[in-house]
Amino acid sequence: MKHKLLIIGACIAISPILFSFCGFYVSKADGTLKNKTSQVILVRDGNKTIITMYNDFKGDTKDFAMVVPVPVVLHKEDVHVVDPSIFQRLNDYSAPRLVEYWDQNPCNQYLEDQAEYKSAPRALNEVAVSGYGNAQKKDLGVKIEAKYLVGEYDILILSAKESGGLKEWLTTNGYKIPEGAEEVLDPYIKSNLKFFVVKVNEKEKKKLNNNFLSPIQISFNSPKFMLPIRLGMANADGDQDLVVYAFTRKGRIECTNYRNVNIPTGNNVPLFVQKNFGTFYGNLFTHQWDKEDKAVSFLEYAWDVSPQNYYHCDPCIATAPSEQDLVQSGVWWLGGKDWSDYSDVDNTEPDNGSKNVHFTRLHFRYNRNSFAQDLMFQVTPNTETFQARYVITHPATGDFTCDAGKKYLQDLKKRRKNELHELMALTGTNLNNWQEDATAKNDEETVAAAQYATLIPVVNNETGGNRPTGLLVFSALILGSAGFLKWKGFV
Amino acid sequence: MFLSSLLKDARYFQIIFQCIFLSYGIFYLGWNAEWWLYATYLSVSVVTQLFFEFLQSRLKNKQWPNTIKIKNSIPSAIISSMGLCLLLKTNTFSIAALAAFISIASKFIIRINGKHIFNPSALAITITAFLMQKAWISPGQWGSGTVILFSVLCLGFIITTKVQKLDVSLAFLFSFGGLLFIRQIIYLGWPMDYFVQSISTGSLLLFSFFMITDPKTTPNHPVARVIWCIGIAAVSFYLTAFKFMNGAPILVLVCSQPVVPLLDKLFKARSFQWQPPAVLTENDKQFLNTAYNNLSL
Repeated sequence: MKHKLLIIGACIAISPILFSFCGFYVSKADGTLKNKTSQVILVRDGNKTIITMYNDFKGDTKDFAMVVPVPVVLHKEDVHVVDPSIFQRLNDYSAPRLVEYWDQNPCNQYLEDQAEYKSAPRALNEVAVSGYGNAQKKDLGVKIEAKYLVGEYDILILSAKESGGLKEWLTTNGYKIPEGAEEVLDPYIKSNLKFFVVKVNEKEKKKLNNNFLSPIQISFNSPKFMLPIRLGMANADGDQDLVVYAFTRKGRIECTNYRNVNIPTGNNVPLFVQKNFGTFYGNLFTHQWDKEDKAVSFLEYAWDVSPQNYYHCDPCIATAPSEQDLVQSGVWWLGGKDWSDYSDVDNTEPDNGSKNVHFTRLHFRYNRNSFAQDLMFQVTPNTETFQARYVITHPATGDFTCDAGKKYLQDLKKRRKNELHELMALTGTNLNNWQEDATAKNDEETVAAAQYATLIPVVNNETGGNRPTGLLVFSALILGSAGFLKWKGFV
Repeated sequence: MFLSSLLKDARYFQIIFQCIFLSYGIFYLGWNAEWWLYATYLSVSVVTQLFFEFLQSRLKNKQWPNTIKIKNSIPSAIISSMGLCLLLKTNTFSIAALAAFISIASKFIIRINGKHIFNPSALAITITAFLMQKAWISPGQWGSGTVILFSVLCLGFIITTKVQKLDVSLAFLFSFGGLLFIRQIIYLGWPMDYFVQSISTGSLLLFSFFMITDPKTTPNHPVARVIWCIGIAAVSFYLTAFKFMNGAPILVLVCSQPVVPLLDKLFKARSFQWQPPAVLTENDKQFLNTAYNNLSL
């Protein structure tokens, strides 16, 4: 109970408007989705884009280097480093969530209670090559467009005439280019992209005395709204996860060259999922990804998080990102305008004065086979809210001898069967895999008749597999109309 | 024989195919079926169509429109609204209603030489999505599955042949695809699957078989049609490849449509009528048979 009280205290302190949510308590469930997860913050309005890349490089920072294709030459003022904790906060806030409800005993009155779980944060890794060495003088068609120091990083902006020269330049300068990178370097060079090359400056690193590498934030103006993932595939074995946190003024962002799919949400799942929510969501994501044919962009969260809008989720699992957080993420239109500074008077950026911020969280799992193209995006005026949310319901406790109580027990059994079916459909896993968790839950159960562990074999017997109803209806439609045409003698 | 006479009008085929696409999207690709949106498009389109039919008859001929005329005009309204259902998305009821109204009203208001100028759905999309930015199109909503590629091709084939404008689709697809191929594969050097993904998106195929082909808004003369299509393809390619614009073909189509009356002046040909041939010729039947066989593969 101590835990619960603590969280309620925090909730009051945050904002009085959130008071109605204080019936919930919030805690973290352990479990990771996948180790190789990159995280990127994208901020876009008009033609201006700010990209922040999380850096979780493990190992000797001397070996760290990163190459990112960018559409324009970046100047020193276009590059910043930010506090890594911002990623943690954005992830915590927008991650898929588990909502807890409590049944009321129909023979009794109890107070309703709810709680929330969330999946744990994961790691990132952008396009990284490693190595460090000495330069050689030779004309390779590679031009250093800009060179500067930002935070703990030495930064170079390169433009190249052809991939061979760029590759040789990078290799002789100690950047190890992964196999398969050449295939994409050439198209990038010919598309007139520049290469943003980063390595750690050991002296500066020591001065800062951080035990982490700061995320790098770059900003530029270009009609191109995309994330280059192809270079990243060159050195990644297998599937790679990417979580995109996007902020716009108008509404959701969506992918224009891959299918956009909402991750299933609002499903009632068995109580024991709570114990391993991370595993549950990991299985769910993998299954849905397979089912949707992999080349998709999954929506996990979308909400208007404008500072003037108090409700950013229902219910929330972490403190909403503050205005400060948003500004740090790159949401430049929230930053205070300095009215004595007229240097941006000629700025052509559209500024309609709106302080709206729409937050979209997209989740990709990409590999070379399913993702032939870089990710292209567009900002849409879609302001509909979305969150990945799964519901567990605790049974009522106490005496069920009254008539309503007996009926409740019957309903409970039915409901729990449905929850098990739902679990199978969502995660594509065999229920027997969950037997252990289900049995563990038995000890806490007051209602012997409706224990999950005893229901699992029953549900297993009932299932005839998933019914692909959509496909059936679709084929019936095609066959029906074809048959109709044939019958009418048209074909 | 009522039904068979109905089916001789290619528009009924088109409605059937549009319904198939919509159900493919909803049931197979798992779109969020926005029933209120579809209902708005459909009802506002039909009501607008009826309103203008009545108005036109009253003002021009001082009489009530006859039922045949009404019956003849409803399918066009349904086709336009289905086009919106398949392409245009919005959260707002008023924008949906406006789009449907624009699409139908433009057919009655903006006319030259008895032909309307703009493709109804394309104009509605241009105004609400490109100009007002209150609605949007999702180029990625069909994915790039090969299944959809083949079915769109086959289904589209039948439609366009029935209204004799396959030249439009092919001229557009080949020139647009050809330019993309030259840019992506030959010039930039992307691997082949990069190009395949660009060209096999359902939105592009839907556009080339169902939108650009509208016989009322394409030039009458075949040569003019092909030239016009290549022009649209070239400008769309430029906007897509160099300006990173989404849904460029739709915008370009709308902008190019005022040129059509001019092309009609230069190239004289008989104007298209939605009148089907009295009976299917043996050739037609044979063709449809082959197309059907390909389809059922």
